[in-house]
Amino acid sequence: MAIQEPQQKEPRSFGLQTPGTKGVIGKKRYAMVIDLRKCIGCMSCSIACKTEYGLPLGVWRTWVKVMEKGGYPVTKRIFMPRLCNHCDYPVCVRNCPTQATYKHEDGFVLQRYNRCIGCRTCMVACPYNARHLLPEKRTDDKLPRMVVDKCTFCIHRVKKGLVPSCVQACVGGARIFGDLNDPNSEVHKLVSTETVTVLKPELGTSPSVYYVGADWEIMDEPHSYTNRTAQSKAEFNDFKEYHNGDAFADIKEGENLMAEVGKNWVGYLKTIPHKAKETFQAFKIFLFD
Amino acid sequence: MGESIVTYNAFHHVAWGTTISVYFWLVGASAGSFVISCFGWVFGIKRYKPLTMTASVTAIIMLLLVPFLLTWDLGKPIRFIYLLIPGYWHSTGPMAWGTLLICLYPMSMVVYSYFVLQNNQTFAKVFGIVAIVLALSTHWYTGVVMELNPGRFLNHTALAPLLFLTGAFISGIGLMNVIVWIRNLFRSEENKFDPALIFEMASFMVYGIVFDIFLLFLDFMQTVYGNQNEVMGHTVVLMEIFRFPYLWLTMVIGLFVPLIILVSPLKKTMTGAVTASLLVAVGVYGMRIWWVLGGQYLQSFY
Repeated sequence: MAIQEPQQKEPRSFGLQTPGTKGVIGKKRYAMVIDLRKCIGCMSCSIACKTEYGLPLGVWRTWVKVMEKGGYPVTKRIFMPRLCNHCDYPVCVRNCPTQATYKHEDGFVLQRYNRCIGCRTCMVACPYNARHLLPEKRTDDKLPRMVVDKCTFCIHRVKKGLVPSCVQACVGGARIFGDLNDPNSEVHKLVSTETVTVLKPELGTSPSVYYVGADWEIMDEPHSYTNRTAQSKAEFNDFKEYHNGDAFADIKEGENLMAEVGKNWVGYLKTIPHKAKETFQAFKIFLFD
Repeated sequence: MGESIVTYNAFHHVAWGTTISVYFWLVGASAGSFVISCFGWVFGIKRYKPLTMTASVTAIIMLLLVPFLLTWDLGKPIRFIYLLIPGYWHSTGPMAWGTLLICLYPMSMVVYSYFVLQNNQTFAKVFGIVAIVLALSTHWYTGVVMELNPGRFLNHTALAPLLFLTGAFISGIGLMNVIVWIRNLFRSEENKFDPALIFEMASFMVYGIVFDIFLLFLDFMQTVYGNQNEVMGHTVVLMEIFRFPYLWLTMVIGLFVPLIILVSPLKKTMTGAVTASLLVAVGVYGMRIWWVLGGQYLQSFY
């Protein structure tokens, strides 16, 4: 990838706290390359991430999608680690009404819990499903709840000279992290020399997670819906059953749609008492403490 | 090429639920009702003046429900105030504009209604115009807030605000017709609204219904001739999973049946006009369901 002169005007930068820094001299641009030829699907990255942040059940900052291809005896299992793409032109940042999510000058797309109102606009905007709402019930009440959460590229580790937790835990060395603008970095060399691809390039978000050796079918959005195992379908309904609530429109497959819409409405009403209690407590603290 | 099948994936929630679809309907019906309220005082159609306060109060009540719905839909309801604080306000976030519009629109309606009660034609007209612009902008915004998500292929169309505004116009009129009809049932003969207004408003609806069908046809064309996601969105999401709200509730019950009633001799009967009005109001809610929930459905598997 060639290092360019800084672009003075980039129309896609509006609404962002800092313009895209990919290929800009004198700027850092952290990125990740995932070499799928080396991924063995051990899910260590997902577990390392879950452990690093104490993520509750049902939500993921990174996960590995698995696909099987071919027919017996010539079959292949394909893995696709997924995470926030820390786009250069993130739609989520542009659409956030309170600047809770913002773009760091080094390329990270970050979330400020104290600003987030839980409107989920960013979740609707994100084309990669990289965001989730933290549930109401956590093991520790001091942990953030009912605000949107996402991958941070482990900025707290990167600022100390470490690599993100998922990269550290990757046993196959499939995840490579570094400054894309540094010509000596491994990510720069890989992006410059290998055939790399990104997810949904047509959207113009300029993702910073690059894949080497990706299969087109596992990257395809409709394929995820049309080609699933029966078990995967059952798991989808289980997920909707046990991780619903919080006013999500969780519609189970094979169920009556309007009944599911009705349940969704009931789910919304059920959330009101505990939200009212929390609001009342917040007022109490504000007025008397 | 052998077969390929996804054996494991993490699943995702559809972030905006039924609450948002109800909110879109309420704002639309409120805007539509308010336009009728302005017929007499802003557009100078004097025979609509008796309807002004009924239409205005209906519009205000429906819009007052919206902050409750939206605030309790937030993960952190108390933080709704952040949407109004300059240091937090993000000018490129559609929801930031929407918050201002939702705050200003009911206020302008109240001011307009006050001058109507004071019988002050000049100020009622001025504030009526302001309120109409805000009413249309508020509903325009509901289309835009879904539109400005390039990853949501079914919603990412410039037709969205037009579809929402047309839906607002016909559902507002439909709702007003039903309310006027119910009110007339309980009033003495001299206090009743002129039933001819119901027939006239029903005839206005015909133009809106025809334009809505035209817009939905354009949307159909875009999805069917669109990219893979749009085609999937139409064939799988709208025609299979959301078949009832899309095909039956919106198209058949909400548009074609009322259109047939309103172009047939039935339009001259009260039963025909009121039934068509009720069906349109219900049908527009069907559109809000598939637009909000359906637009987000496919991606939750990705």
